[in-house]
Amino acid sequence: MVGSGAGGAIAAMVLAEAGYDVVVLEKGDNWFDDVTRAAPRSWFSSDELKGGRHFAKPDPVAEPRTYRWHQSDAEPRHVGAVQDLPQTVGGASVHWDAKTPRFWDIDFRKLSLLGPIDGADVTDWPFSYDEIAPLYDEVEGLIGVSGDIDALPAEPTLRHAPRARPLPMPPGPPQLASLVAAEGCRKLEPALHPFLAPMAINSTEYDGRPACNNCGQCSNHGCPIMARVGALAALRRAVTAGAELRERSWVVRVETSGRKATGVTWIDDRGRQHHEPGDLVVLACLAIETVRLAKLSELPDPHGTIGTHFMQHWFTDGTGIFVGQRLHAHRGRSTTHVADDFADPDFPGARAAAQAAGLPYFRGGTLELGGTQFPLGEANTYRFLLTLLRPDKPFGAEFKQLMRSSVLRDRMCGIQMIGEDLPYRGNTVDLDPRVKDYRGYPVARITYSPGAHELAAQGFYRPYVAEILRRAGADYVTAVPDAASDATPLAGNEVPTTAHVMGGMRMGTDPAVSATDDEGRFHQLDNLFVADGSVFPTSGAHNPTLTIMATALRNARRWVA
Amino acid sequence: REARAADYIVTLLDALRENPPRVFAGGPFSDRGGSERDDMARFLPLNDAVKEHWRARLDDLGAAYREGLGQLDALAGGDFAAASPADQDAALAQNPRVPRLPAAISGFTDLLFRHTIEGCYGVPEYGGNAGGAMWRSIEFPGDVQPRGYEAGEVTDSDGPDPVTATGIVADLLRLVTSTAPESPPRPPPAPGPTSRAG
Repeated sequence: MVGSGAGGAIAAMVLAEAGYDVVVLEKGDNWFDDVTRAAPRSWFSSDELKGGRHFAKPDPVAEPRTYRWHQSDAEPRHVGAVQDLPQTVGGASVHWDAKTPRFWDIDFRKLSLLGPIDGADVTDWPFSYDEIAPLYDEVEGLIGVSGDIDALPAEPTLRHAPRARPLPMPPGPPQLASLVAAEGCRKLEPALHPFLAPMAINSTEYDGRPACNNCGQCSNHGCPIMARVGALAALRRAVTAGAELRERSWVVRVETSGRKATGVTWIDDRGRQHHEPGDLVVLACLAIETVRLAKLSELPDPHGTIGTHFMQHWFTDGTGIFVGQRLHAHRGRSTTHVADDFADPDFPGARAAAQAAGLPYFRGGTLELGGTQFPLGEANTYRFLLTLLRPDKPFGAEFKQLMRSSVLRDRMCGIQMIGEDLPYRGNTVDLDPRVKDYRGYPVARITYSPGAHELAAQGFYRPYVAEILRRAGADYVTAVPDAASDATPLAGNEVPTTAHVMGGMRMGTDPAVSATDDEGRFHQLDNLFVADGSVFPTSGAHNPTLTIMATALRNARRWVA
Repeated sequence: REARAADYIVTLLDALRENPPRVFAGGPFSDRGGSERDDMARFLPLNDAVKEHWRARLDDLGAAYREGLGQLDALAGGDFAAASPADQDAALAQNPRVPRLPAAISGFTDLLFRHTIEGCYGVPEYGGNAGGAMWRSIEFPGDVQPRGYEAGEVTDSDGPDPVTATGIVADLLRLVTSTAPESPPRPPPAPGPTSRAG
């Protein structure tokens, strides 16, 4: 098992509990004292600077990635951190804000129910919502999801993602900023249906782990008290069943012979090379690094599908500023409310706007309601904006005045729309031809541009995101694309900051347009599997991790059957 | 000066002189949120690869500081520290170019400002933000584990607390909202039959 995050931990659990002799090779460190404990001691903390120094993440100087917009671009636009999700025992789930929405029925039957879109490879998944629903139930029980299904809106949420049983825990306390944004949603015309997001954060003691105490530093921080464990719940079962966990073990090549993977070559933190044989090899390094490893391994790829159809969600970021009060979004679970009306292709006006853009339909995505920044993020935003506002003196007393005003922190109410990102063959991960990491291996190169679908959906929904904040009572409002592109030069960031990486090893029955089969087995090798979000054929319009885990559970059970 | 941001920068540049290096503060808690012990003060060991990354980074930063401080002195007429506030500002506004900086950092003043921000608003264990005073100045509570917050503190408003949007605050708000989209059109009539899934 290469990787110990959300997908890898689940697959390791299934394999170990089925009697396989499992070795989990994790590139990063292990910041837990004993993963067989329900709530191990950890060395994560409420320390914004630690994250800024890339703790438990790839170092962007030693291990950069490159980013460009077009296949024809000779030079990257950016070299450094690109979607730099954690590399550590537990993977990205040590840092997530633990939203656990389910994908909708239309995600799994997208081509059949919604139809094709020119230029994109829209397709059905190998399974339906009905097949994955019990696995969602199972993962929600395993990692501990809090929420109230009776409070979920019948339209559109429960109609597209019906539930058979309640969640294991009631919801935690709502955040003020989220409540304010939710009220704006209700006042919108047409009114939206905001609700308390199901989240994999304990609201009560659960399975030996404590209740969350609302410290506020979820997203981008490890949980100091283990009220949010994510992949560790599965990893605990894997190790308890006999799996061996080896941190600081960086797999650099999958070895093959004919149609078989024979094992992996890995190097330790001192650069020494080792070999681990295996009857079965599973890649679970998140979409970017799984593809990079496949390319470094020179795996057979007769149809050129490895690394294609990369998706990362196309976010729209709304900001509302309240000058009359502090919203203290630094307290509580990061953004407690969501609304997913914009994920509905039949949201009023959406079909007509799509058709005006030459599309049969489009989807925005779920809204996370009520986010903010912490002081280092806030200060660096002012630092940048002061170079535009005060080029002669972009520092000093006015900077401190901005910090004391807290307009982009304590008085801020953010909304993020997680826009569905269609699978395009030309959005890819491959190896950069020039840039190498500190050990001399080519780094991952991301080539990405939003398509007509993403841009039309953003064009339609961006005014709504801003309007929600106006109706919520914000005194100042804006909404911008998260990332720059040809079509969106004015954006919040040079490269996407969405942390939702999917595709590249997509599942499918046709090897001409997919890299893995209908259970995540590599088409060209009989015993090489993938257990992360790279197998997603489409991206959905919701946070992906619960679906990564449920998909890994489904597929791994088929591997051992 | 009160935040000891300069101490922070010296601590950063000398981080690998200590064992464990002062790169990543420990966890899970400091002693500010109800814990009797400050775990953050016990810095974390680095694996060999990470240590090498930081050695290279700190070598580059050391070179940038040596060059940048020299340039600031020159721009301020020979001695930056002895120059008038106006001359100091003028020198800083030049944002001198120095070698070996990451592409995202535009010059030495930019680097200095970034590090000063970290030294002011980071957790105090890194050597700055003395006593958490800079957090207090912006009404930020800092790390609060293991005490956390009560439900009411999460949900309820603390009451009115207006800020006056004048000067730089007004200018900034105008800039960040300058590209705000107009309100969406009024909704069309209810849609007809669709291809929604059941």
